[in-house]
Amino acid sequence: MIKKELLLQNPLRFIGDETEDILPGGGFGAVLARAGVGKTALLVQLALHTLLKGKYVLHISLDDPVNKISLWYKEVFRHLTKSYDAKNTNKLWEDLLPHRFIMTFKVEGFSVPKLEERLTDLKEQNIFSPQMVLIDGFHFNESARTSLSEFKRLAKNHSLHVWFSVKTHRHEKHGPGGMPSSLSDVSDLFDIVIQLRPEGKKIHVMTLKGGPADSNRPALFLDPATMLVKDNS
Amino acid sequence: MKNAINKVRNIGISAHIDSGKTTLTERILFFTKRIHAIHDVKGKDGVGATMDSMDIEKERGITIASAATYCEWLGHEINIIDTPGHVDFTIEVERSLRVLDGAILILCAVGGVQSQSITVDQQMKRYNVPCIAFINKCDRSGANPFRVIDQLKEKLGHNAVTLQIPIGLEGDLEGVVDLVSMKAVYFDGANGEDVRIENIPQDLLQEALQRREDLIDEASMFSDQLTEAVLEEQEITQDMIISAVRMGTLTRKLTPVFMGSAYKNKGVQPLLDAVTKLLPCPYDVKNEALDMNNDETPVILSGELEKPLVALAFKLEEGQYGQLTYIRVYQGSLSKGDNIVNARNGKKIKVGRLVRMHADQMEDIETIPAGYIGALFGIDCASGDTFVGPGLNMTMTSMFVPEPVISLAIFPKDNASQINMSKALNRFSKEDPTFRIYVDDETKETIIEGMGELHLEVYVERMHREYTAEVTTGQPRVAYRETITRKGEFDYTHKKQTGGAGQYGRVAGYMEPVTETELVFENKIVGGKIPTQFIPSCEKGFRQCMKKGPKMEFPVTGIKVVINDGASHSVDSSDMAFMAAARGAFREGYFKAGPVTHEPIMKVAVETPSEFQGAVMGLLNQRRGIIVGSQDEGPLCVVEARVPLAEMFGFSTVLRSSTQGKAQFTMELGSYKQVPESIAQELAKKAETEKKGK
Repeated sequence: MIKKELLLQNPLRFIGDETEDILPGGGFGAVLARAGVGKTALLVQLALHTLLKGKYVLHISLDDPVNKISLWYKEVFRHLTKSYDAKNTNKLWEDLLPHRFIMTFKVEGFSVPKLEERLTDLKEQNIFSPQMVLIDGFHFNESARTSLSEFKRLAKNHSLHVWFSVKTHRHEKHGPGGMPSSLSDVSDLFDIVIQLRPEGKKIHVMTLKGGPADSNRPALFLDPATMLVKDNS
Repeated sequence: MKNAINKVRNIGISAHIDSGKTTLTERILFFTKRIHAIHDVKGKDGVGATMDSMDIEKERGITIASAATYCEWLGHEINIIDTPGHVDFTIEVERSLRVLDGAILILCAVGGVQSQSITVDQQMKRYNVPCIAFINKCDRSGANPFRVIDQLKEKLGHNAVTLQIPIGLEGDLEGVVDLVSMKAVYFDGANGEDVRIENIPQDLLQEALQRREDLIDEASMFSDQLTEAVLEEQEITQDMIISAVRMGTLTRKLTPVFMGSAYKNKGVQPLLDAVTKLLPCPYDVKNEALDMNNDETPVILSGELEKPLVALAFKLEEGQYGQLTYIRVYQGSLSKGDNIVNARNGKKIKVGRLVRMHADQMEDIETIPAGYIGALFGIDCASGDTFVGPGLNMTMTSMFVPEPVISLAIFPKDNASQINMSKALNRFSKEDPTFRIYVDDETKETIIEGMGELHLEVYVERMHREYTAEVTTGQPRVAYRETITRKGEFDYTHKKQTGGAGQYGRVAGYMEPVTETELVFENKIVGGKIPTQFIPSCEKGFRQCMKKGPKMEFPVTGIKVVINDGASHSVDSSDMAFMAAARGAFREGYFKAGPVTHEPIMKVAVETPSEFQGAVMGLLNQRRGIIVGSQDEGPLCVVEARVPLAEMFGFSTVLRSSTQGKAQFTMELGSYKQVPESIAQELAKKAETEKKGK
């Protein structure tokens, strides 16, 4: 069973409780990093592990077209299953696909009511009903709080686990706990905040907020070649 | 030819059906003195418009095949490629878009941006074709060009800016105000051929000034000189505005809008002026070819006359004097008597007659230089072929031709139709590489294959119209395939002793699935258990089985056969016997190897106004489709899905009716996938009843 093995391999389980989802229903998670460090790659890994559990994932991108997102999934999946027989992994990939739905919006065209309308439509027609939602490319600006609060309501209503990618900037000021200023105003809405920080040739995966208090858990790194999470240095 | 490449325009005219595309072309030809009388599309004189040379086009008033025609205006040479306005003929459209450098997008002043305009616009965007817009039919009641401009902005996302305003509208349309020269333009004479320039009528002056302001505002984004002039309140010359607008147009960041009524002969001459002033010459456009010697790496063609020839055959036409091949030369030049090579098959060709086309009349010329469009006579080639000078190995189009996914049996009604049908089929298959023909060995039926239901329907219709071939068609069939899923062993003895020479052969071994190839045959026989001379017969026997699978009679793919044991008889073994043994062995092993049926899964992209997104997803979902995602693009939205071809029959009709005709879809072959068990059973049942029927 590739599925089981892949699930067991999931290094992200160290971030949260081993058996439970990292986020509660209606909870928000954020992945912070500068451009090009691996936010999308990490989100896609989170999504793939959720897909492997047989759950449904809605991936919303505000920058990239559907094809590009698809490609991300294919690439990450290919790296994850490199050591397995191609025939079986193809079958697994085919099985996962119907569980994933990609929606892309133009940044200015995206709004929570619009998304809610789409979601209801999909649910009513019995086409797709996600348990996890990824939002890639959301702009954390002054007006973000209003839409995020709306989003929170939506997530709670539908019991969704929502992950955001947050682009940080080199010169950005940091608030308490290393939280960048773009997020510090709204950090109360988030249950877990993960930061990707390049350190030499590796990318360190750090939790800024949330996660278990256990300080003994191993440090996590992203392998820059594959963008996969590794659990030991 | 005058060889001044900056004075050449290769343009297309694209539009929604019935927005007056052919009428406009006709008027352009009239004003450029290529024709001397005007025949309307659906005119009463029965002559029809000059551009629609195919009967079906004249009758229906639509243009199917793109005829290229040539005219001159203000010292510029203009080649007009009349592009089809129908989505169904995408190969035609895409080929025409390939050869043109700029386009006029016609919009109806009443209908505005219609669904078809959206598709056509998408295609132009894909090929990065700069365009200017012409709002036609301003004489119709309900005409409102400014509403159309707003729609251009909202629905198509163009940065549309008008260069004209109408003088009067609907029945009172008299002419236009040119916002660049700030003059009123009227069109006098029986056919509007006398252009009269006057001062702007007082009642329009205020509006004209306001709109000119807007125009300069938008145009200044593309020219520092103009911006400076505006800021320093210097005099703004016409040239400054024109060159700024041209900059914006070439980069597709600005869409200049013109207006008038082709039918009433108003506004056509200023549009022609704009074609010469604003649309690119061949030199402004970057063209790429693929270097075949270098793994199809793209190479940019320079357009220099001294370099070796690269030319693309973009359309074939069967005329009364034989095959006419329309070509566009991208690099070098093509002259009478030149030796050229067809890059697809390496055949050398000597250029005979060269002509320049004007719808269905022609004019002999000596040479076609880079950037020009012309036609060759009597050359045997297919549409999309690239011609190159000796020593080059480049192609303008990728050699990849997708396999057909759907087939249809056609039956001629009588003998005459039979003859005409074969003529038609011969030509169509040359024109369109995705259209194929074969005769079924068993049923002796003629089968046509293509990329979709509509694709084949169009050809059947054309057979009827152009070749008077009366044909009836069978049900469309999906190109299913069979393959195996696990290893299966065989050990088969073919033995026959019924008087005369006997037959004997034993073949043993196994078969297993492989990917990406049809059949791999491996001989692991040791000790001469099957004599070497019979091994090819064994392979032949296995190969024969691939055409029709033992399970459902679909072609078989992805099988590796290994033979490792066997037996022969000194007298009774023969090629025939081993072929028969191999066929038997194949059947035996095949059924043990878990045979399954695969079906083509299409990549479907539906482009729909956002309000119908839910409905479209519902439709796709009902058809065993997996929705990959949805892409929001302002007012429009694209839903991408993977749907089995078998479920796509009749989709265009259903889609049209559930979206008020506003959605369009394209599909192409994605992959082959195993048919679900329930469907496989249905297929088996169907095959069974068909067998009984035979």
